[in-house]
Amino acid sequence: MSKKPTAQPALHKVIMVGSGGVGKSALTLQFMYDEFVEDYEPTKADSYRKKILLDGEDVQIDILDTAGQEDYAAIRDNYFRSGEGFLCIFSITEDESFQATQEFREQILRVKNDENIPFLLVGNKSDLEDRRKVSFQEASERAKQWGVPYVETSAKTREHVDKVFYDLMREIRARKMEENKTNNGRGKDKSKKKKLKCTIL
Amino acid sequence: MEPSKEPTLNLLSSKDFVPEKYVRDLSQSLVGGPELRRLRKKIQALYEETNNNLKRNVYHNYMQFIDTAKEISHLESEMYQLSHLLSEQKALLAALSTTSILGDETPMITGAENKNDASERGDENRQKLASILEKVEGCKELLEVPGRTYLHEGDLLEVDPVDNNTIKTVHAYLFTDGFMTTYRNTNNRGLMKYVFEVMYELGSLAVVNVRDIGNNKHQFKLLIFPDTRVFQCTASSSKKEWLDKFDQAKKARLTQEQQKRESIVEKSPSRSASIESPSFNPFEDMEEDVGTIHPEWFIEIPEELDVCVAQRHFEEALIFLQKSKDYITQFVNTNGQPDHVIIDIQRKVELRHNNLTEVLMKELEVNPDKSQQGGLRAARRAVRLLNQLGRSTQSCDLFLKLCSSILKTQCKRVKRECSTAMYVRHLSSVVFTNMCHMTEEFLRAFPSSSSCSSAYVVWASNELSLFTSHFIKQVFMPQTSLSTLTECVVLVRSQCERLCSFGVDLCYQLDGALRTPLMQALKDTRDKSIEVAKLRALEDKWIPMNLRSKTGLARFLLQYSEMGLKLDDYVTGDIWIQLTNSTLVFAKLYLTLLNDCLQLETTELLHTINEVLYDVFEAQVRHVESSLRNEKQVEQRKFITKNADFLLVILQDLCQKKYKETIGFECESLHKLKKEYSALIKGVSPTSRSTKTKYSSEFL
Ligand SMILES: Nc1nc2c(ncn2[C@@H]2O[C@H](COP(=O)(O)OP(=O)(O)OP(=O)(O)O)[C@@H](O)[C@H]2O)c(=O)[nH]1
Ligand SMILES: [Mg+2]
Repeated sequence: MSKKPTAQPALHKVIMVGSGGVGKSALTLQFMYDEFVEDYEPTKADSYRKKILLDGEDVQIDILDTAGQEDYAAIRDNYFRSGEGFLCIFSITEDESFQATQEFREQILRVKNDENIPFLLVGNKSDLEDRRKVSFQEASERAKQWGVPYVETSAKTREHVDKVFYDLMREIRARKMEENKTNNGRGKDKSKKKKLKCTIL
Repeated sequence: MEPSKEPTLNLLSSKDFVPEKYVRDLSQSLVGGPELRRLRKKIQALYEETNNNLKRNVYHNYMQFIDTAKEISHLESEMYQLSHLLSEQKALLAALSTTSILGDETPMITGAENKNDASERGDENRQKLASILEKVEGCKELLEVPGRTYLHEGDLLEVDPVDNNTIKTVHAYLFTDGFMTTYRNTNNRGLMKYVFEVMYELGSLAVVNVRDIGNNKHQFKLLIFPDTRVFQCTASSSKKEWLDKFDQAKKARLTQEQQKRESIVEKSPSRSASIESPSFNPFEDMEEDVGTIHPEWFIEIPEELDVCVAQRHFEEALIFLQKSKDYITQFVNTNGQPDHVIIDIQRKVELRHNNLTEVLMKELEVNPDKSQQGGLRAARRAVRLLNQLGRSTQSCDLFLKLCSSILKTQCKRVKRECSTAMYVRHLSSVVFTNMCHMTEEFLRAFPSSSSCSSAYVVWASNELSLFTSHFIKQVFMPQTSLSTLTECVVLVRSQCERLCSFGVDLCYQLDGALRTPLMQALKDTRDKSIEVAKLRALEDKWIPMNLRSKTGLARFLLQYSEMGLKLDDYVTGDIWIQLTNSTLVFAKLYLTLLNDCLQLETTELLHTINEVLYDVFEAQVRHVESSLRNEKQVEQRKFITKNADFLLVILQDLCQKKYKETIGFECESLHKLKKEYSALIKGVSPTSRSTKTKYSSEFL
């Protein structure tokens, strides 16, 4: 308990969202342990934590790898609520997974009630270029429309894996600093406002 | 109308016969007393004739009438039993339907479990919840959510979500609708092991499996916005169990929620908009209630009920129940629908209602440890209260079970040391006195419920069956004489009739149960009597009976005249009776047999009785016949014929008279016997009997 006053490294909470089988877990595991898992085992909800150096600063990343499977859709809200930033994944080999990102985006905005929530649109399985169904352009247009970055990754080749996590953490860190500046001491007010809004909805 | 002077049946029974007019006409046209007297005589004769005809008709239909009455009473009881079966069926169906309704309301694990299973689980679950209540301080509300089901529990180590330091040990419970944490009670004097910390609604929490990294092994996380709590299990297997249970509960809840939403949307489209918004709105409970303020007494009713039941002030509890019900109906009538306070109280009151019912049912339950000192009287209160709670079917059931148990103990107390007849007298008196008493109590407790009365009829009939089977075992033994048997049967019949005054006629059932053993007993008696007759025949010397003294003769005559036989005409000298010992002994035995038969008589037994009466009589008459055939001496033949005459005329007449007195008509088989052997009376013995068909086969 005596440890508590010592400054803990900043904790950034990242949530992996996206349809089933797009590679959320594969990306997470590649980022965490530098390995690629060939087998597909649907996830329920797994959390990972890792200490990393972000632009020279010790931080902790907390990754919540959620279930893409449809039967968990109804209880996603509770998970999303705890996220500070989101990696919204689809597979470039599967158009349906791309279409689904729209829904995930809406749900996150609704739950977080924040248009500027740190968010990356991620097209995974870029190594499977020959099976591509979603064009780079199509995806980047959607990202532009949402005002978020679009990155293509491969959990298999590790292409852009670190990038998406680091980029997201930077955004989260930036948001936190911004919030600290604008609402210094008024944090409570804001949360109350949100609540009232929810009730009206 | 042409006035006819002569009275005839036709005239008197014609439709337009007017007595006044007829008499007037007669008195006008007829002059003089003698003529009128003649007419009067004639009318008198007509009257008697009609009367006799009427009697004959009544006799003719008498058996049919009795049989019909019995058949009706039988039918009535069958209808009752049928009604009982139906109401049992109904109760079963109702139970099934409530089970499924509950299933709709509550987030039970909706797997492939069948309903019976579910209700069994319900009981188990209630016990489990109750045991948690005893262990955990401060979670009284645990039972107040209907359908809450226990799923899992265990010790967990809570760690800090940021620095992973140990915080404390918790004992956690998972229910179908929520996750409850408790911590160890440090207060040594506290009776309970744990203290309630918090209960999270399942819908508001997210479960996350923490991947094992470094020291933090076997952990899972609960996201309860805005908090996060991390728990550490002792092994990966226990973590897996927790996660699986959570998953199970979540999924069950989801399907539940879905069904509920669908049904609500269907019912009230106007409200669907608000319900479609996120179903797990954590701010819902922050909404301020601006509804009606309910009186304090209403809010406090659940607690009042608890106190009443604990102090066994059941009547008061009932008043509270009624009061709350009245208040709610009144509120709903004026406001259209109940608000959430009402719903809450209603739910709580319902739980108390069920609790009260259970307590009362326990009161009535038969328990070997419980004394039956108070008997049925002690059960009155519980029965009355249960009836008021609308549980008359159950209370009736328990009441009757109690009756059975009381009856059983009472019967066990009857000592078996005395004679069979005495034992039966005691036992049947105990059984039927109790049954009468129970019937009285029953009618008091359940005055006007047809399903209860049918349950009662079934009960009574079962008890009677128990009694009769015991009775048959005790009484129908080879060494029991028919007279003893008759005495016992008559006794039981008269006891059974006592129930008739309460409208419960079980006599037909009793007779039915006794029919087969009685038939056997009658046949056994016949065989024995014939055997004895043969032995007597061997010893018969065909000499008049010598009574040895005047007083002996007087005593003998008196004894026989008491049986209905006047022997004065057979007396010669001071001490002789001109009949053989064999004839006289037979007469006495036969009258006893007849007497027993007549007392035992039922329509179903009559055939056997007639057969027995014939066979036994015939055995004696055959002896006379064969003696006559072998006798050449005229004097001796006369003596034998005299005996035959005594048997076939004097004794038979007496028998027929007695038979008719009880049965209503004369005995056919004895008639037949007399006809067949009428030659004997004239002193003629047919040389061959081989052509004679046996009487009994004709009867079949
Ligand atoms: N070739 C290739 N295969 C991938 C890539 N990423 C994931 N996969 C494969 O795709 C399948 C599904 O990957 P997962 O990471 O388990 O998918 P997920 O998004 O976590 O799925 P849910 O847990 O059900 O939501 C696995 O067989 C992976 O090996 C990738 O970048 N390239
Ligand atoms: Mg996964």
